[in-house]
Amino acid sequence: MVRRRQSICRRLWSFGDVASLVCCRDSVRTICPQNICSLRAHMEGKYYSEEAEVDLRDPGRDYELYKYTCQELQRLMAEIQDLKSRGGKDVAVEIEDRRIQSCVHFMTLKKLNRLAHIRLKKGRDQTHEAKQKVDAYHLQLQNLLYEVMHLQKEITKCLEFKSKHEEIDLVSLEEFYKEAPPDISKAEVTMGDPHQQTLARLDWELEQRKRLAEKYRECLSNKEKILKEIEVKKEYLSSLQPRLNSIMQASLPVQEYLFMPFDQAHKQYETARHLPPPLYVLFVQATAYGQACDKTLSVAIEGSVDEAKALFKPPEDSQDDESDSDAEEEQTTKRRRPTLGVQLDDKRKEMLKRHPLSVMLDLKCKDDSVLHLTFYYLMNLNIMTVKAKVTTATELITPISAGDLLSPDSVLSCLYPGDHGKKTPNPANQYQFDKVGILTLRDYVLDLGHPYLWVQKLGGLHFPKEQPQHTVIADHSLSASHMETTMKLLKTRVQSRLALHKQFASLEHGIVPVTSDCQYLFPAKVVSRLVKWVTIAHEDYMELHFTKDIVEAGLAGDTNLYYMALVERGTAKLQAAVVLNPGYSSIPPIFQLCLNWKGEKTNSNDDNIRAMESEVNVCYKELCGPRPSHQLLTNQLQRLCVLLDVYLETESHDDSVEGPKEFPQEKMCLRLFRGPSRMKPFKYNHPQGFFSHR
Amino acid sequence: MEVFQTLQRLHMTIFSQSVSPCGKFLAAGNNYGQIAVFSLSAALSSEAKEESKKPVVTFQAHDGPVYSMVSTDRHLLSAGDGEVKAWLWAEILKKGCKELWRRQPPYRTSLEVPEINALLLVPKENSLILAGGDCQLHAMDLETGAFTRALRGHTDYIHCLALRERSPEVLSGGEDGAVRLWDLRTAKEVQTIEVYKHEECSRPHNGRWIGCLATDSDWMVCGGGPALTLWHLRSSTPTTIFPMRAPQKHVTFYQDLILSAGQGRCVNQWQLSGELKAQVPGSSPGLLSLSLNQQPAAPECKVGPARGCGDPGRPVACG
Repeated sequence: MVRRRQSICRRLWSFGDVASLVCCRDSVRTICPQNICSLRAHMEGKYYSEEAEVDLRDPGRDYELYKYTCQELQRLMAEIQDLKSRGGKDVAVEIEDRRIQSCVHFMTLKKLNRLAHIRLKKGRDQTHEAKQKVDAYHLQLQNLLYEVMHLQKEITKCLEFKSKHEEIDLVSLEEFYKEAPPDISKAEVTMGDPHQQTLARLDWELEQRKRLAEKYRECLSNKEKILKEIEVKKEYLSSLQPRLNSIMQASLPVQEYLFMPFDQAHKQYETARHLPPPLYVLFVQATAYGQACDKTLSVAIEGSVDEAKALFKPPEDSQDDESDSDAEEEQTTKRRRPTLGVQLDDKRKEMLKRHPLSVMLDLKCKDDSVLHLTFYYLMNLNIMTVKAKVTTATELITPISAGDLLSPDSVLSCLYPGDHGKKTPNPANQYQFDKVGILTLRDYVLDLGHPYLWVQKLGGLHFPKEQPQHTVIADHSLSASHMETTMKLLKTRVQSRLALHKQFASLEHGIVPVTSDCQYLFPAKVVSRLVKWVTIAHEDYMELHFTKDIVEAGLAGDTNLYYMALVERGTAKLQAAVVLNPGYSSIPPIFQLCLNWKGEKTNSNDDNIRAMESEVNVCYKELCGPRPSHQLLTNQLQRLCVLLDVYLETESHDDSVEGPKEFPQEKMCLRLFRGPSRMKPFKYNHPQGFFSHR
Repeated sequence: MEVFQTLQRLHMTIFSQSVSPCGKFLAAGNNYGQIAVFSLSAALSSEAKEESKKPVVTFQAHDGPVYSMVSTDRHLLSAGDGEVKAWLWAEILKKGCKELWRRQPPYRTSLEVPEINALLLVPKENSLILAGGDCQLHAMDLETGAFTRALRGHTDYIHCLALRERSPEVLSGGEDGAVRLWDLRTAKEVQTIEVYKHEECSRPHNGRWIGCLATDSDWMVCGGGPALTLWHLRSSTPTTIFPMRAPQKHVTFYQDLILSAGQGRCVNQWQLSGELKAQVPGSSPGLLSLSLNQQPAAPECKVGPARGCGDPGRPVACG
């Protein structure tokens, strides 16, 4: 406000300064209102006479006087000029006269000027004063207005002021009155007075909050405590882990003792994750079968896990390898053939490569002999192969004729009829073989193992016949359905082979080992003796003259084992050529006979020899003995001896020849000959002990 | 299983056969007691395939081997272990055929059931003669099924029978080496020829058994252990001895020839003078029976050899 007044003053001063300067030359002009008062005082001191006159004279009349004076001056000036122009002597006096008049006029003008100026000044002063008053009032107004505004603002501010207490959600009134203790709620006071009510409520709120804050602190401290406890326990647990490990280690001997190898099983499952799918299927199914049905089966995984992991490198690596080998190939084609062959060899090796992991199954049989089967997976060919080995509880002395019985190459041959395991079961492999010049897998089976069909089925691989399919995936259900049958067949196979092994040892010494529970099939006295038991080769069997029927009927394949037995009595020698099918003893051995006694008699020229063969080959079911019918072969041989006895003893005596019969009849027979073909009585009846015809 | 079936087939022996009255079918009986019926027209036709040589129908007829079979104009009679059964030819071709009747002659011994080795039809009397293991000939009336006579005389079992139409007499040859002639009306033995006693034909190393007989009223040819010989019946003298080393199991007169078959692959055709006219080879190593297809519809004479290997050989046409 003070400033505004100052500025107003300044403005007054700037407009009116010229006139004021002219009027009051020697007055000192100041700017403050106090100075205007002092100026006035100064004015009162030095006072122009005109100032008093100004109030008395009429400005209008002064204006008229001014105009008159100016006219007179103009006239005089014109007269002077006239006079001057006329020239003459009296002119100067007239001119002087006129000059004096004009000076008087000038004086009047000057006075008028002063009057005007003073009027002006007065007017200005008055205006100035009025203006100042107005300004003052204006300023006051402004100030007041400003204050009003300010106050209004403050009022609105105050009105708008939200006290923090309104932000607090207070409990509802009912609740408040219910819960708050009476010294806070003060119902009688607060009911009527909203201010007091709010205060009370705030009090209650505060109270509550204090309590809750208290609780909160307590809870915090609890939490701290519990956290500390947790820490302690965690440490305890983490210290437990190494101790548990050491306990596991220590418990391994106990596990073995109790036959519960959990640790081992766990490790196996870890390794199993790296198996290729068919081996994995086999592993899972075999383990499941072993646990559920057959405790004598044990499954293990062999091989290097690291190598298996290394196989799963990203494909760019293998492509690099290919391009490298291509580059090599380009280089080596310039060289000579040997390297080409080596290269082909490498390609072959690559094609026949095995997965580094293999699954080993151990089948334990009743007599403590074990069949070890190792299953491999050929990755590029997508087939599985197996290698077999039989170990016995006691060391076996292998009789010469039993050489092939347990050989790893042939012990599993034809487990299922026709499954000889020399050809790859995957038809797609033929195309692969053509590329690298492999004729058949047969050449490599000794090294790689046999790709039997049942092995593929155990691994869940099912190859449709004669139609190549690119992706054959391993299927659990196929494996499961075949597992039980195959395991049983495997066990039967091993046991029958071992039984044969033992029997052969005895046969080579000329003793036909007939067990006591099969004795009833034969008479007490058997005179013919087995003198020889040897293996013969397949080709030799085909060459024999009395085996033509069997060969023509297609029963003498190259998967069978062939033997020659010689039974003698006196001068009679009976040769028996035996075909042993790998499926013994469900498939009976086949005998073909040739008797050398008074000429050579075979089934083509003697019906009785044919009958003897029939007794042994066709009626084999009687000779099976108790299950699992391992006695079939030995019973057949014993029956052969009995048949020879009967044949020789019942031969009708030739009247023309002198001397007694070489073989007196000791057997009890009802009739010697029967039927149009004059059959001898070959059928032995137990327990009566006589021979009759069928 | 396959191996077993193959072995069975390899050891099968067909003992008897009979041609159907119409001449189109051949029934064969084997040692397992089965009878198989073959269609001759299909098997011998020019377009015959492997399938047409297999039996049209096979059924189990007896428990034991079927040693002999004979056909009447409507029935097939088969005999084996102790019984004779009759089948209707018209029914036989249908599956599940059942026997019409079965009869067992009265045997003396009960220890063992004797086999019936030979059946003979006597058309005039409408009776059937059976002979076999119990050394007797039994005559059975086909109308009533009753056993009328039993002719005893043989000391060992009887192999074969033949009918001498004119008299009528029955000839029987047996294991005891004798051929006996029986009069049917008087039921008595009329004549006995002990073949082995005659030095020309006896072959002791083979034995004395008579395996086959055939008669032509005046003449008789018999063979077996002794050599195949042609006899004049009235004088009981051997006239021609056929030079066949192997014992013959079946012999028959045919037109002016004698056909014989036995050990060895061939059917031998002999002139009455003793010369071998022809030898027709068969497929099996030994032959047990021959049968002649007399029907005019079949112009060739069909002779069926029988033994082993599952197929009764290929019926051999010889004319």
